[in-house]
Parts: sequence; structure tokens; C-alpha cells
Amino acid sequence: MKRQTMILVSVLVLSILLAGCGGGTTAVAPTTKPADTAAPATVEATAPAGEITAVAGVPAICADDGACAVIKPGVTVKIGMGAPMTGDNAAFGQDISQAAKIAVEDAGTFAGFSFELLAEDDGGSAEGGAAVANKFVADPTVVAIAGHIFSGATLAAMPIYEAASIPMMSPSATNPPLTAQGSKVFNRCVFTDAAQGKFAATYLFQNLKITKLAIVHDGQAYGQGLAQVVSDEFTALGGEVVAFEAVTPGESDYSAVLADIASKSPQALYFGGYTAEGVVIVNQMKQSGLDGVTFFGDDGTFGQDFLDRTGANGEGAYSTSLIPPASDARAIFDAAYLEAYGQPAGKLSPYTWTAYDSAAVLIQVIKSVAILSDDGNLYIPRAALVAAVRAVKDYQGLSGTITCDAVGECSASGPVFNIVKDGKWVEAPK
Amino acid sequence: MPIQKEPARRVKPYQIIQAVTGIGCAGYLLYRLYTVLIGSPTYGTETWARFMIAGLILGSVYALIAIGYTLVYGILRMINFAHGDIMMIGAFGGYFTLEAAKSIPAGGSNFSDAYPFAAVLAAFLAGVAIAALSGYFLEKIAYRPLRGAPRLVPLISAIGASIFLENAAQLLFGAQRRDYANPAVLTRGEGWTLVINGAKVILPYTGALTVILSLLLMVALYMLVMRTRLGRAMRAVSENKQVAALMGIDVDGVISQTFIISGALAGAAGVMWGLHLGLVYHFVGFIPGIKAFTAAVLGGIGSVPGAMLGGLFLGLVESLGPAVLGISFQLKDVIAFGILVLVLIFRPTGIVGEALTEEKV
Repeated sequence: MKRQTMILVSVLVLSILLAGCGGGTTAVAPTTKPADTAAPATVEATAPAGEITAVAGVPAICADDGACAVIKPGVTVKIGMGAPMTGDNAAFGQDISQAAKIAVEDAGTFAGFSFELLAEDDGGSAEGGAAVANKFVADPTVVAIAGHIFSGATLAAMPIYEAASIPMMSPSATNPPLTAQGSKVFNRCVFTDAAQGKFAATYLFQNLKITKLAIVHDGQAYGQGLAQVVSDEFTALGGEVVAFEAVTPGESDYSAVLADIASKSPQALYFGGYTAEGVVIVNQMKQSGLDGVTFFGDDGTFGQDFLDRTGANGEGAYSTSLIPPASDARAIFDAAYLEAYGQPAGKLSPYTWTAYDSAAVLIQVIKSVAILSDDGNLYIPRAALVAAVRAVKDYQGLSGTITCDAVGECSASGPVFNIVKDGKWVEAPK
Repeated sequence: MPIQKEPARRVKPYQIIQAVTGIGCAGYLLYRLYTVLIGSPTYGTETWARFMIAGLILGSVYALIAIGYTLVYGILRMINFAHGDIMMIGAFGGYFTLEAAKSIPAGGSNFSDAYPFAAVLAAFLAGVAIAALSGYFLEKIAYRPLRGAPRLVPLISAIGASIFLENAAQLLFGAQRRDYANPAVLTRGEGWTLVINGAKVILPYTGALTVILSLLLMVALYMLVMRTRLGRAMRAVSENKQVAALMGIDVDGVISQTFIISGALAGAAGVMWGLHLGLVYHFVGFIPGIKAFTAAVLGGIGSVPGAMLGGLFLGLVESLGPAVLGISFQLKDVIAFGILVLVLIFRPTGIVGEALTEEKV
């Protein structure tokens, strides 16, 4: 009996631990120090060199301990990703890591070295972001980070990567101050909330002729930041913000707060947040007295999921998107995504395409700076990689042209507004 | 013989704090009520009606879940933190039943639209059955082996079970949020339109169903606890396990049945949640679980009518509280938990709580 109890307790403790770690993949990486690899060059270069010429011994740039990531033959070059893989926003992490995985597969190999995506669960939170970053920094074969996904987690992870000279390319962290920290490693291939908020406020006021606007946000870094920008811009344009309310994320009933907003009779409701809460709001607007009020969402509420889950209630709703215009590259990716995961791209989250771009652009830059040595190892100079990512110019990604500016804003294409028409997102008239 | 002096009655510091807090809170509440209703009315009658409708519906779901906490606490003196996740499992049971009903062609459209009553009934039966079964196995696996252990141990086990169930559901059903496919007559957001103060106020069909059904279930449960053999056995076990066993009551059997009943109620609550709010995913039971736990403590944990009252009260406070106090709706939880603190200060046994004996505390 006692033994049974012990087994049970240990199983439960294990389940707690497992849940804490999330379902992320675990990298079993040899913890070799770069110095060890400078051993006598008795090892012949087994890796097929292809057209890449190998340098002799340890490249000069890598003389200092830790200046380069040293990838031994048979070991993969790792791209890290911190994403919410469990909990409330698990759909984002799943989708973004799946899209990035396709980019890694498409990238092929470099001088016999293949690439690998390590997607770890950061829960989307600041503490989770820091924990995942510390884990990646401890792995000498992680050279770049496609992430993190949420702005809060990204902010916490940035200084850790900064210290280790690991460049980041986030597909979805859009909180404006992230690039104002003076970080050398942080870049993003998604437009900022400030740009989006400004465009949205102008669109509401000038194109839709809205004068009384209610604003709702989810109280998180992304949603609240965006809502604040819209509020400031809309007031500056001469409109009136009749309500500025926060909702608690994760709940399924917002009818009370919507009834409160209805009593102030706005013409449109702007929402800063994600699909999860946006859908609940749209579905409850009618029964809460907001019948006929236009719902205007952000890029967090764009996606097939929004359409599926709002149905007729979503008709006429607006959102912002990063959905690129149809292109051959996008068609190939969409087909590959559908085949690999059985779901159309963009169904789980709106960041599918930028996620692919972030991993693809990182791998391209890694290939451009990596040095193959005749000792068989691949040397990736970390400082040069950081500088090269910031210097990316005119990269043609799925989401448009990617050109990084001095602070790491790499999305050259602006936001696109969309409206739901007959159950489909179509580009809204300019 | 010296006269023994009666020792002077000293007012204890906590009594002063109690009195000051009580008068302060009551005074402020009255002032706010006067302001929003008479002084400078912020809302019209139609808005108050909308608040009431939202609060009652949410409250009746909370009440149904809270009963599960209270039943289990009454018998085992432990908080079953996995209860909210049992509700989630029930919600999934109903979801898949309705999806199946939607896919069966019948009477020109599909089974769900053609025979809405049968489809909803089937969803409830499936949700209740799977949740009751989960409750039964939860007790068997996670709590029964720890029956003699210190009280913290089953509590930790409950938290572990909760995390296990959430993640198991994610692995089984995926992380995406799904929506209940309601029969056409029960479309979410549709309802009777009342015209109050010149504005349309919608009383949703699904909401009415939720309130009526949960009231019926609560009455049924109350009858079961007060009028049946099983109810008597439950009350006896709750009084004293050893003595109940001596009287010939199968204590383990009663505990199992308690978990089955509380699981069934949570399952029904889950299906109602799905029908009215639509949303179902692996985490959906978490917040209602926490809220219902609060409701159970508010009403007096261990007391069945207390859980019902606590649930309805909490639902109404959440929708009316911010409006009355004139603060942001994001702070509704602050009000709810603030009231919990006040109740624990003034009436630690809850609104209608039983007087706790030493042994039970």
C-alpha cells in the first residue's frame, strides 16, 4: 500500500514537473567548450565541402574563447525559438514553430551541416522567456533565435541573448519599445504596434468617418500598448474616445463590460488583443446592446480562426494583417503547411508567414557568415552574425520585403486592413 | 471577604478593526448606490437589466460548479482543485456530441437542427456521463491512495491532477479553441427581446436554459442530500467517518458516489457553459473553477445552499459591482475577492456556513 502511494505521488510530481517544462523539445547537446575543439588537426575533414572552401585550422576571428559557435561534424546548427506551447495561447506557439520548421527544412544543408529548430515553451510570459533564453545560451550550438513570440517574453529574453551575442528575429513581438532599448541583437520582421495603431486610428476617423470610438484591450503589453496608441492618435485627429476599458484575458464572458460600453453609445469598438478574447467580444456584442457597432481588431485578431468562430456575428468586422499578396512562394509554402500539419496556413495564428520568414532569413545570414574549417568543424562567428542580421537588405520573404533599419525594424511593408465579407477576409477599401 | 471584581471588559483590537472596516465599507457602498442610482445616474434601466441578466447566468453556472467543491469538502475536508477541469471534460463531451449531431443528416437538414431537444439532451447526457466518470476515476486514482496522508498531500495531488487533466486534454483535442455547434433554435446571442426604457434588451435563450436548468439541478441535489438514503449517508460521513463506518455505512462507497455526483454537476455546468458562451478548449475550466471555489467559500464551504447562494451572489457582484462602485470592469475580480476577504473577516463560516467544530477546521 505504502509503495503504491509513493509511486502515485512520484507520478503526480512528475506530471507537475512535465507540465512546468512544457512539451517543448529537449536538446541533448554535447557541452564542449570551443577550446576543446582546437585539438591537433588529426581529424580529416569528413564533411563534404561542396563548393565551400575550407580554411585551415581555427579561423582567426574565432581565436577568442566563445567568439564563435563551433559545430562539430554530425551536430546540427540550432535555431532557438521561445514560444507559448502550452496553456492559454498554445495555438500561437504551435503555429509559429510549425511554420518555422518548414523554413528550416527548406533551407537544406550547408557544407553537410543541417539546421534544426528548437522550439521551447516559454508560456508567453516574462519569466518563461528568461528561463528559455538561459537554457538556449547554455547550449553552444544555438546560434540564432527566431523569436520570442510574445512581447513580454521577448523583453525579458533580450538582455540574456545580448550578453551571449545571439541575434533574434521575432515574427510577432510587436510592442513598439522593444526596438528602443538599444539592443544590438533584437530584430523583428513584423510591423510595430505604433505603426499599426496610427494607421488604424486614421482609417477609423477618415475612411470610416467614426467620431465616437470605444476602445477595449486585454491589459497585456501588446494589446494595451496598441490601444493606447489608437486612443492618443484618434483624440489627436479630433475624434472622441467614449470608453477605454480592459478585459481580463482568458475569460469567456464579457457581456457586463460590453453592456457598460453600450451605455456610452459608441459608433465603433476598437479592440487591442488576440483572437481568443476578440471572438468572445464579437459574439457577445449583439446581446449586450452593441448591435450594429463596427468591430475593429488588430493583427492579433486576424485569421481563419476568427471567421470560423464568429460566423455571422463577424460580418463587417475589421482587422489588420500581415497576409502577403498571393505569390508563388506563398502558394508553395501554404501547400507544404497544409500537407505537413493538415490545417491551412494562418488558421491557428496570423503570424504563420512572418514565422517562416524569420527562420528563413536567419538561416540565410548564418550561411553567409559561417566558416568551414579543415578540422571538419563549422565556425560561426557570433559578433559577425549579429551584425549581419542587422544588415539584412532587400530579402524577399513571404510577407514582403525584409530590410532591417538601424534599430532592427525589418518589416518594410506596412499594415493591410481587412474586412469580413460573406465569411471571408477581404482587403478593405483604402 | 473581599468582593471579587468583575474584570473590566476589554475591547480587543481586532474587534475595533472589524467594526471600523464594516462601517467604512457599508457607508461607502450606500454612498455609491445613492450616487449611481439617484445622485447622478450613470446607466439607464436597460443597462442595469443587461448587467443583471449577465450576472444571473454566470452566477448559476458558478453555483453548479461550487456545489461540487462544497460536497467534496464536506466529506473529505479537502479542496478538489481538479474540479474545474472535470467541468472542462464535461464541456468537451457535450461538444463532440453536438458535432456528431450536426453531421448526421435528418429531416432535411441535420439531426441537431431537426431535433434540437434530443440533441441537447444527448449532449447533456454525454457531458454529465463523461464528467461523472472522470470524477469517479479522479478520486480512485489521485485521492483514495492518500486517504490517511496529512492534509496537504491530497491538496498537492489535486493540483497535480488539475495540471495533468489540462495537458491531457490539450494532447487529446489540440490547443485550438472550439465553438459549440448549437442547434439552430438555440443560436447564441438570439433571445427574447424586451424593450426597457426604449432600448432593446436581449434575454438569450441559452441563458434562460442555463438558469432554469441549474436551478432545477440544485433543487434535485438538495432533495437528494436531504431526503434519500445516500444523502443521509453522505451527511453521516461528513459528520464523522469513523462513527459512520461503525453504523454500517460503506464510507469509501459514499465518497465515490459523492465524486460521481459532483462530477455530474460539473459536467452539466460544462455543457451549459458551452451552449451559452460557446467557447471550449483545454483551459476553459480553470477560471470558472477558481471562481466557483471562491463562491463556495463565500457561501460557506461544506454547505450546499451556501454554494448555491455564493455562486449566484458572485455572478451578480462580478457584473454589478464595477458599475455600482464606478470602477473599471477589469477590477471585477478585485471586488469579488475583496468581498471574500471581508466575508472571511466578519463571518469566517461564509454566508450560511455551518459552525465549524475544532475537528473539522
